[in-house]
Amino acid sequence: MKSKFNYLIISLLLIFFISSCEKTDEIKPGDKNSVFIEFDNRLGAEEIVLGTTKGTNSTSEDFTITRLNYFISNIKLMSATGETVSFPDQYSLVKESDTNSQVIELKDVPAGDYNHLMYTIGVDSIHSVSDVSLRTGVLDPAGYGDDNMYWSWNMGYIFFKMEGNSSKVNVNGSTKYELHIGGFGGKDAPTPNNIRNLELHMNQTATVRRDIAPDVHVIFDVAKVFDGTKKVSLVANPVIHNPKLGIDISENYAEAFMIDHVHLD
Amino acid sequence: MLRKYLIYVPVFTVLLVSCTETSAVPETELIQDKPLFYQPDNFPMPVYDMSKNPVTEAGFELGKKIFYDGKLSRDGTISCAECHAQSYAFTHHGHTLSHGIDNRIGTRNAPPIQNTAFMRSFFWDGGVFDLDLFPIAPITNPVEMDEELGNVLKKLRADPAYTARFKEAYGSEEITTERFLKALSQFMNALISDNSKYDKYIRKETGGEMSADELEGLALFKQKCSSCHQEPLFSDEKFHNNGLDISFRDIDYGRYNITGERQDRYTFKTPSLRNIAFTAPYMHDGRFNTLEDVLNHYQNDMSYSLNLDPVFFYGDNKRGIEMTDDEKSKIILFLKTLSDKEFITDKRFAAPN
Repeated sequence: MKSKFNYLIISLLLIFFISSCEKTDEIKPGDKNSVFIEFDNRLGAEEIVLGTTKGTNSTSEDFTITRLNYFISNIKLMSATGETVSFPDQYSLVKESDTNSQVIELKDVPAGDYNHLMYTIGVDSIHSVSDVSLRTGVLDPAGYGDDNMYWSWNMGYIFFKMEGNSSKVNVNGSTKYELHIGGFGGKDAPTPNNIRNLELHMNQTATVRRDIAPDVHVIFDVAKVFDGTKKVSLVANPVIHNPKLGIDISENYAEAFMIDHVHLD
Repeated sequence: MLRKYLIYVPVFTVLLVSCTETSAVPETELIQDKPLFYQPDNFPMPVYDMSKNPVTEAGFELGKKIFYDGKLSRDGTISCAECHAQSYAFTHHGHTLSHGIDNRIGTRNAPPIQNTAFMRSFFWDGGVFDLDLFPIAPITNPVEMDEELGNVLKKLRADPAYTARFKEAYGSEEITTERFLKALSQFMNALISDNSKYDKYIRKETGGEMSADELEGLALFKQKCSSCHQEPLFSDEKFHNNGLDISFRDIDYGRYNITGERQDRYTFKTPSLRNIAFTAPYMHDGRFNTLEDVLNHYQNDMSYSLNLDPVFFYGDNKRGIEMTDDEKSKIILFLKTLSDKEFITDKRFAAPN
């Protein structure tokens, strides 16, 4: 009898908890919050320290990383039921040297349960050919200082830039390698296209509520730049400033992003 | 086509009206009784969207000041005019390859700056298709000006003479990438060369009287050269391999560097022939010093290389352009009628005092 009473109390408590959970789950029209996408560049499992972290690719070439930048654009979130929220005008330049650049805030995301993240690595063709008046923020070619992300001679942005040193590389006595990947497909004539669109599935749901702004933690594994679907050798092409030579690399890095976890804050 | 034309009618009306309204034109400008930008009767419509950046007096003057300013280069020594001098139709006279900062040598011959508003692409390989974004290339090229664009803007912001000019041109002192680049475009778009003897002949104006030999040269030119050097701009704006010996210098793949397509190897953009008599030396690498050398190449020195343009095959598997020495000299006589002396002496385009 006493145990039956206990069960009743537990059940009541459970109902209370569940219903209280449902209360915060309730979505009122117009509810919205931010979603933060955090890009965490790694070498395998290791955090990257620029100039220090050392890796070796499958062709036994050692390498360090001194620069690592890439453009993220056209971000979309999709819920399990297929509702999509797009951020077409938000262009971000993620730089390993700048912690602030590694977190992208998507503002005013309607409350919902999102489990797909889509984005482009690079700058879409429309913005690659747009009038200079629209090239502001991270798209301003005057904004890069000595870490240039714009090709003036073959008009377009450098979508992905990775530089470092390898003891196996020898370019006129220098051990420096430079992988500059760009090419949006051309305006008047077709040219190589290294725009890569990704769709990543989240194992946890990014729940957006009036009081919940989730943090989606994306890991980019630099090791896969060399060892993905394609095997990339630094000795074969230590300096890539050419859209066509960059195709293997862009195919590789398109497969190098994964969602590690989602925080619900 | 008609619809396209009609769209421009109001634009040009506005331009013409606004130009006649500028009463504060300095005296030197009044020497030339023409607006800074206009549509030559014998030219196609502009490629550049003039409505988004019309040439204004203040914008043109600002663009000219920038064009002639060494501040664009790392050490202040190299201005655009270094390789683009007006007296040689805005080319680098006497230099096969252009020289830049620290006397470093470029890989190509500086082309003239003229009729930019009517051109679809820029550079020998057509790598730039928007005039506004063109100047970033020479500014940042390590063998030309070797400077960062952001640094150039910083230098101009620190100079009161510039902030004042930007205010005149744009209504406020703010110096942005867009304003800087569009001022340069205004200056370049005003560099219209349409007053050669040939132009006057086509437009049936005085000064357009051609000699019998020149007219014969024109007829020969139409037969033998104009498939690529199409009138009235004397370029089809396409890319061709014209049989230059590729072992002459370090290999330059030309258009292939942009497209990565095998068939584009060793192809270069057809240059305009306007003002050709002022712009020696010739070809993308300046390998020929005279027009005679150029025509000798086409007559009998053409080498076979991958992608040689099929237009150069004739007769029994011969390469080049079939012509006699007499025909060659008449073609050269005609080419000299493409010289526009008014353009290279127009005071409005000269370095500001």
